[in-house]
Amino acid sequence: MLLDRSFDLTLTPCTQATLSHEALRGVEQFLYDEARLLDERQYESWLALWADQSRYWVPRHHGQVNPFDQISLFWEDRMLRETRVRRLLNARNWSQQPVTRSSRLVGGVQVEGLDPQGHLIVRSKLHYSEYRLTQRDLAATVHHKLMATEQGGWRVYLKRVDLVNCDSIFANLEVFL
Amino acid sequence: MNSEELAALIRPDRVHKSVYTDTSIFELEMERIYGRAWIYVGHESQVPGTGDFHTTRIGNQDVVMVRGQDGQVHVLYNRCPHKGAKLVAEGDGCAGKFFRCPYHAWTFKLDGSHLSAPLRSGFEGTQYNPASPQFSMRQVARVELYRGFVFASQSDSGIGLRDFLGGAASSIDNLCDRSPVGEVEVAGGVFRVMQPSNWKVFYENLHDTMHARITHESSFMAAREEAEVIGEMPFELLIQDGNGEPYAFWEKLELRAYHHGHGYMEGIFDPNAATRDPVSRAHFACLTEAYGEARARDILGMNRHNTILYGSGSPHNVFQQFRVIRPLAVDRTLVEIQLFRCKGAPPEVYDRALTYANLINSPSSNVMPDDVEVYRRCQEGNQTFGGDWVSLHRYLGTDHQLPDGAVSTNGTSELPMRNQFAAWRDYMLDDSPLHADNTITSECPHHAA
Repeated sequence: MLLDRSFDLTLTPCTQATLSHEALRGVEQFLYDEARLLDERQYESWLALWADQSRYWVPRHHGQVNPFDQISLFWEDRMLRETRVRRLLNARNWSQQPVTRSSRLVGGVQVEGLDPQGHLIVRSKLHYSEYRLTQRDLAATVHHKLMATEQGGWRVYLKRVDLVNCDSIFANLEVFL
Repeated sequence: MNSEELAALIRPDRVHKSVYTDTSIFELEMERIYGRAWIYVGHESQVPGTGDFHTTRIGNQDVVMVRGQDGQVHVLYNRCPHKGAKLVAEGDGCAGKFFRCPYHAWTFKLDGSHLSAPLRSGFEGTQYNPASPQFSMRQVARVELYRGFVFASQSDSGIGLRDFLGGAASSIDNLCDRSPVGEVEVAGGVFRVMQPSNWKVFYENLHDTMHARITHESSFMAAREEAEVIGEMPFELLIQDGNGEPYAFWEKLELRAYHHGHGYMEGIFDPNAATRDPVSRAHFACLTEAYGEARARDILGMNRHNTILYGSGSPHNVFQQFRVIRPLAVDRTLVEIQLFRCKGAPPEVYDRALTYANLINSPSSNVMPDDVEVYRRCQEGNQTFGGDWVSLHRYLGTDHQLPDGAVSTNGTSELPMRNQFAAWRDYMLDDSPLHADNTITSECPHHAA
């Protein structure tokens, strides 16, 4: 259910995470790979990075507590992410002709700790440029909550993107940030 | 541009493309439409306490809606009479007990009247007069509320708000009646979306049923494909799927046109869903307790999709939103998307409205970008030498005339556009019945045709 209020949105770690240098590098690489898949419009592979019960969230308000009481620029579960991808790839997607080209710069990766369910909370900075008819630049603080997989990789449980201009006037936001 | 030239741009079955592209016509619209008509400023719930303000635009004017000491809502031009600085910053806030200019500390009561200026001795022997309107913030000429919706007119005379809204007021009534106490409040924040096109294109599109399955093919196909894969069509997909209905569906819908360009379009969703879907069922039970079963059925049965209040925007009573349309330039239109909570209704009603706002009306909507794209293409295409006229021929001459407007005999009629341009013509010509000195509303010529 999209508005499942039990979904754990907290970004405050309850326990410390101790990661080896190699594991930390793995987390960073995961974030870089995610950005790369979006830049290269490899949406199917990007969808596969997500856990089953997971949410992509871009709040509309600074310091927004939840997506239930207030509107959000994006609040998407797997079904809605898949639907967005289907539209982006549909041959009659008039507003994607030409497509949105994008370039993401991810940096300042910091491991914050673990949430009560053991998800790894990772904070990073995103500088995002896109071009479709005109150029647009966006900047954000991003929080990922990552689930460890049995194979030693990661799946995204929550990706929260806090845009510096979330309260601005926007032209269409068609692609994931 | 004189009246004869303006009149020549509007014909019963077509309009000249310059109405969308000519900056001098846009300037004239600001004066003659937005300077005269009742324009929605905001909802009084946006300024709940004394001194609370909300800034917005009426046509090309920056205004501030504020709650006064006496509890009344005032609408003032956002200008200090001293040097002209805007008194308050863009957005929402609280001025406290009075406005204070950040430039030289002139202060004004919340109704805009002059309170004080520092070092008054400096004005001795001058024409400075705190009692003169020249030294106060100017109020917009007329302000009226309709069930909490605040409208203002920059013209000091003309028809009242209720007469202006005509039959379209029933959509506001229905939006409010969906609350068991008959009241709504703006909740959850407001989206603001920019469209690179003329404001009238959006109004026309709101009741354009022929575009739905063409323009929106990518989004309704995406919703359908997803529903097939997951084996169900939940609300989130249903509202993206609606545009994919076949032509036969749209032909059966009712389009209602009222004077002054207003109107509504019948709903896309089944009104009898009240007894099937759990959210509607809970809502129905709540309204039955408040109003009785028959009235509750009537309220939830008023199944309208977009309503048009020409010059203000488009309320959506079924999902409690209001897309407020603010023209910024001949080719630039700001849309403020408000979401309402029906006071006292079950929380799921708000949840559903919030989901509708997020998925359909937000900048990240899967549906709207294709609209915005075709609006832009119209804006740019109409600047080529490829032709001079925009066609409004569909089902011309078949619309059924009513004392207060017309109703379509076919849901794909371009009646709404013809009705909007009949109103446009009334506003824009010198002999307009909407002018301050011509208070009698005449039958619009196109309805009579």
